[in-house]
Amino acid sequence: MDFELTDEQELIREAVREFAEAEVAPIAAELDRDHRFPYELLPKLAELNLMGMPFPEKVGGAGADEVSYVIAVEELSRACASTGVIVSAHTSLATWPIYKFGTEAQHERYLHDLASGRRLGAFALTEPAAGTDAGAGTCTAILSGDEYILNGSKIFITNAPFAEVYIVFAKTDPAKGTRGMSAFIVEKNTPGFSVGEAEHKLGIRGSSTPPLYFSDCHIPKDALLDGEGYGFKVAMQTLDGGRIGIAAQALGIAQAALDASVAYAKERVQFGKPIADLQAIQWMIADMATEIDAARLLVYRAASCIDNDRPYSTEGAMAKLFASETATRVAGKAIQIHGGYGYTESYPVERNWRDAKITEIYEGTSEVQRMVIARSALR
Amino acid sequence: MRIVVAYKWTSDPQEATVRADGTVDWSRAKPGLSAYDPVAIELARQLAEAAGAELIGVTAGGKGVAAPIASKAALSRGLDRVVIVEDESLAEAGRSQLAAVLAEVIRHIGDVDLIVTGDSSVDVAAKMVPTVLAGELGWPAVAEVTAVSGQAGALRVERAIPGGVQVLEVSGPAVLAASADAAVPRVPGMKEVLAAAKKPVELLDLAALKVPAASVVMTVTGRSRPERKARKGQLIDTTDPAAAAAELVTALREAGAL
Repeated sequence: MDFELTDEQELIREAVREFAEAEVAPIAAELDRDHRFPYELLPKLAELNLMGMPFPEKVGGAGADEVSYVIAVEELSRACASTGVIVSAHTSLATWPIYKFGTEAQHERYLHDLASGRRLGAFALTEPAAGTDAGAGTCTAILSGDEYILNGSKIFITNAPFAEVYIVFAKTDPAKGTRGMSAFIVEKNTPGFSVGEAEHKLGIRGSSTPPLYFSDCHIPKDALLDGEGYGFKVAMQTLDGGRIGIAAQALGIAQAALDASVAYAKERVQFGKPIADLQAIQWMIADMATEIDAARLLVYRAASCIDNDRPYSTEGAMAKLFASETATRVAGKAIQIHGGYGYTESYPVERNWRDAKITEIYEGTSEVQRMVIARSALR
Repeated sequence: MRIVVAYKWTSDPQEATVRADGTVDWSRAKPGLSAYDPVAIELARQLAEAAGAELIGVTAGGKGVAAPIASKAALSRGLDRVVIVEDESLAEAGRSQLAAVLAEVIRHIGDVDLIVTGDSSVDVAAKMVPTVLAGELGWPAVAEVTAVSGQAGALRVERAIPGGVQVLEVSGPAVLAASADAAVPRVPGMKEVLAAAKKPVELLDLAALKVPAASVVMTVTGRSRPERKARKGQLIDTTDPAAAAAELVTALREAGAL
């Protein structure tokens, strides 16, 4: 069994860390404070081929493996969790389904621009009354001649309104439930498609998540992705991979909280010595480091399954469940180690904790991950 | 035009520890490109791109300098190819020996118009290799270089001097040591990292280079470790910046630092 990263994976970690520390970390607190989307980072991310890492070079990607991709999301998230999810949602949720299910014409029209980072993508599944119960969505797409007419709304859509390409799920046959759901590629300025006000969130405040509205929005028939009635399958398979990206995001947040805690524990003097010399602090640091290492093994294992063409649904669910809950626990301990200072904006750990919480919720709650894992274990 | 960047694959002293006997324990320090070498590569790369020149990396050292990750790390920063001498006898090589080996590598490559190095190595930081290398080759050496432009045989070199900038016109081959902030190194893109493995790596045998033996031998016979001073761990409340500054000045005066 080989636990060593390849040279390329090591060098990708170093390169992304170099970029993240120079360009992302310095603005992370400001993005959070001002709820500001880091638009200026997009061309830089694209230049480094970070917007389409796991896709082949011939379609505009970097041609990297999935392990490298999760390392990149981890390192970006270590500096700024918002930037991590912008890249993860764009790559795993918007670009991947086009790569996987798109026609040649759809590849031609969208894939190169998305994988090269020239255009930003988003994934629109969640609705006000359909979160975990994704099949309960009421958004409709009714065929009329050579067009579908979209009506309904979506909420919590990462990367809107900056995204130019949206994967939108709607019922083409509402009577058939999940089997009546279809996926569509919708372009930003399509008449009848509008974006609402951004949500004010607890964390990942640099990531924009507004609602989308479709009002008699006409889209061409060839915007359909993978055939009528296959939307639920497209969504579930996309989320299977997407949750590994979120697991990597959680891992990066947790690592950031540990790094801050180690630095603080060595500097902070109480009772005449650094608090790192106190066993109470050492035990917390030990637990944090161990849990992060375990999470990292699960995340890399799940990504490795994709690289080796093996099933990864359960492995991805385990990785996301454990990494996300680890991130919240570790960030909480990081605040505890920082004491009163940790509860203030003077240190990054309160942001780490607020950012961590969402990783237990989006792209499948911890409860959904447990359902997936239990279904596999009890099979 | 052919430009060579002499780089060093070494360990970060921040991750090393000093033993009680004064020797350094590098075993837990992660090897990597010496901190200022990416600056040298970037400075040379910009000149190479403008002049359409070939950009070659060279390095010499002990075990590990020819490891695939070492050459990939250098190549991912824009070098066209690398030429490496790996020999355990060079692990503790002094600057004279290292410069003599590098000079032979430069002669082996041939037709080199310019050598660029980093400001200093992150582990030794003696700033000697560029000058000794230039001496070995009979070329001029210029330190603290902040900019370079032009073509082979007609280079325009800027170097920082106290109070200003000196501009030099260099008519032949030279060794330039880039200042620490001469250029902002580009972060390697993911494609550059992945493409590094496909670039040429030439490994040279030290014995075959026939490096002239040094006429004077220097051997390290002793080391001492300065006593570690106890830290005061005095925290200053910065809520009121003016009061905090006054408190800091008072504390520094009391400590005899001001």
